[in-house]
Amino acid sequence: MPETILELANVTKTFKGKTAVNDVSFSVERGQITGFLGPNGAGKTTSLRMSLGILTPDRGKVTLFGKKPGPKALDRVGFLPEERGIYRRMKVIDVIVFFARLKGVEAGEAKKRGLKMLDEFELLHAAEQPVKTLSKGMAQKVQIISTLVHQPEFIILDEPFSGLDPVNQKSLERIVRAQADAGRTILFSTHVMEHAERLCDKILLIANGTKIFDGSVKQALGEVPRRIFLETVSEHDLLALLDAYGDVRRDEGGDDAVRCWSLDLAAGADAQDVLKACVDAGVKLTRFEPVRAHLHDAFVHLVESAGGKLTETTDA
Amino acid sequence: MRNIYLIARREFLSYVATWGFWLSLASVPLFMGLGFGLPMLIENSQPTRHYVIVDESGGQLEQALVDGFTRAQEQQIAEIQEAVTEMVGDNPQVQQAMASGMMQQIGDGRYQRIDLGLTDLEALRPYLLEEQAIEIDGEEASLFAAVFLRGSVENGIEVDYWSKNRTDSGLRSSISRALEDYMQEAHLLSGGVSPGLLQAAEALEPEVRELNPERSGADATVTDAERIPFIMGVAVAFALWIIIFSVVNMLLTAMIEEKGNKVLEMMMSATRHYEILTGKLLGVACVSATLLVFWMGLALGGATLVQQAAASADIPVAEIFSALLDPGLLLPALGYFVIGYLMYGAVFLAVGSLCDTIQDAQTLMSPIMLIMMVPLFLVMISADSPDSPIVAIASWVPVWTPFIMLARLPHDPAMIELVGTTLVMLVTAIGVIWGAGAVFRLGSLNQANQETIKGWFSFGKKA
Repeated sequence: MPETILELANVTKTFKGKTAVNDVSFSVERGQITGFLGPNGAGKTTSLRMSLGILTPDRGKVTLFGKKPGPKALDRVGFLPEERGIYRRMKVIDVIVFFARLKGVEAGEAKKRGLKMLDEFELLHAAEQPVKTLSKGMAQKVQIISTLVHQPEFIILDEPFSGLDPVNQKSLERIVRAQADAGRTILFSTHVMEHAERLCDKILLIANGTKIFDGSVKQALGEVPRRIFLETVSEHDLLALLDAYGDVRRDEGGDDAVRCWSLDLAAGADAQDVLKACVDAGVKLTRFEPVRAHLHDAFVHLVESAGGKLTETTDA
Repeated sequence: MRNIYLIARREFLSYVATWGFWLSLASVPLFMGLGFGLPMLIENSQPTRHYVIVDESGGQLEQALVDGFTRAQEQQIAEIQEAVTEMVGDNPQVQQAMASGMMQQIGDGRYQRIDLGLTDLEALRPYLLEEQAIEIDGEEASLFAAVFLRGSVENGIEVDYWSKNRTDSGLRSSISRALEDYMQEAHLLSGGVSPGLLQAAEALEPEVRELNPERSGADATVTDAERIPFIMGVAVAFALWIIIFSVVNMLLTAMIEEKGNKVLEMMMSATRHYEILTGKLLGVACVSATLLVFWMGLALGGATLVQQAAASADIPVAEIFSALLDPGLLLPALGYFVIGYLMYGAVFLAVGSLCDTIQDAQTLMSPIMLIMMVPLFLVMISADSPDSPIVAIASWVPVWTPFIMLARLPHDPAMIELVGTTLVMLVTAIGVIWGAGAVFRLGSLNQANQETIKGWFSFGKKA
């Protein structure tokens, strides 16, 4: 059984009478990449802060490496906060060495590792430059190096992709994957579903401070009805014909000759059965397109099912 | 401890790398230089004022003025000689320099009498209005004033002082004083007082001895050196105030900058908020210690140089340092500095953590600045009246205790006061630092801002 790195048990946190996190429980197992998803203001950052002991929960229990979060445990964690910045007047290598030393790495070793990572991130030429002379993308890379330089067992990234251009997002994805391949446990929060879908072994979904899903990406996708788009040129009424297979709708579009439909498959129903039913009934099909669900659909479906609002969700 | 050291070290190095630090380091010798040099520069840059005297009394009043000016100059020279002798002793080099005529240049040389050969106001008016220039040593100059003297002691003396300048009243006052002395003297002489008696009366002055009732005989006389601890007490209290005030401002601005750079949450994932708070306080304390050591070294070096330059100088350097390094003053000073610095520093850091800009901080700083200004006045009062009830009561206000008690220490305040105020101050300091730590934590995570603090003080108001 994999070791549990982080566990939140029935954790609640309230600010000025407003519940930010309500009775949330989840765990992160060693070696996994866990995506922590939720709309803005869902309680992700508060949960991550409590995970590190930066905030203390009002109720519930947090254990990190089997103990209450403390200085020793923090040395084994690399945290990239959402509100991130570094000392702008310091030299790049000095910033990296400073954060490494805060995590217990000896000065000489910290510098050696820092220079090696700067080389890997193609930033070695900037090692002696003040941070303020770097571009935003370069500065973010320095922050990521500062988070990883002490070779943490557990990496927590709070909205790591925000503010990055597509090229740097891709680059960060590669970094996360490489860290996972090196055996690190990763927990990252995001509301960009594509990254989570590509990277995560497991996702946690939180909305309005409450956990609404905890499982694999496959399981999350299983929560969304699969959809089939159909177009017919015969007079058949698909509402009656396909009712047994799920929720059928007559869609806008088409013309007098072509009629458009969509079908959300019921649990256990199969697209092949739908096709067979149409053929058997003599329906003249000009389009039969089963659509693969995405994590975004699962996210919307799960949040809406839980009564949450998605008005603040972007980049979906 | 590791993280506190690393944060303190980073803070120290970041300050040392700034221009502000080096400017602060140079500021004291710079201001000392300015303090000595500026008055001389101002004095030397004053223009010479040329004036004419028209004596309509037949020369009697003009002579009285000349005599009066000479007497005033001699008196001024005598006062300077006395002050110099008191300061550097009977140094032969200094005495020689004074005797060599250097002192003759002292006096109000700014006003120079000239003779244009004109006695009529209308003839002088174009010069006074600067429509016409006068010529002094081949160079053009303007006429500052024309003084018309008329009348006599018996019938009253009248002076018409004509000048365009309304602000420079030096010459007018000198004339007035000289003639006033002349009139009083002439009046006494005409009343039958002999000139010898008059001179003797002017030379009369009492001999005042300051004696200490704790001693008797010749030992009872209070010397200047005995006053030094009291002066040092006040000086150290002021120095403490200046250091704390300048250092906590450094903390505030650095904190606001750090918050603006969004470094704090990254820091808080690596270390605890109280370690950040302590590290910052220690780092800046090291900066101020560096400044202090440099300035003290400079003062010591300067005093030694002065001592060597005037071989027999009588500057009580030994007494000053003995008073300054007296454990009875030095140890409490160190203690009060640490506690005062921690109290104010923690508060300023907490305020900085709540604000994104200096403008935000100003709202919160105003009441704190007012509180900080109070001991400055109380220390001044305590210099003269250490037993004043206001000073005694204010000593119990924990945020003022470090400054006021330092100024009062050489006056041997009651033990109950000493222990009591220190205990109250210590307990308050612990509370303030704890509270500041809590606010710092909230502010660092953007869970509180200046509005939160304002809200705490708006009891009963509707939201």
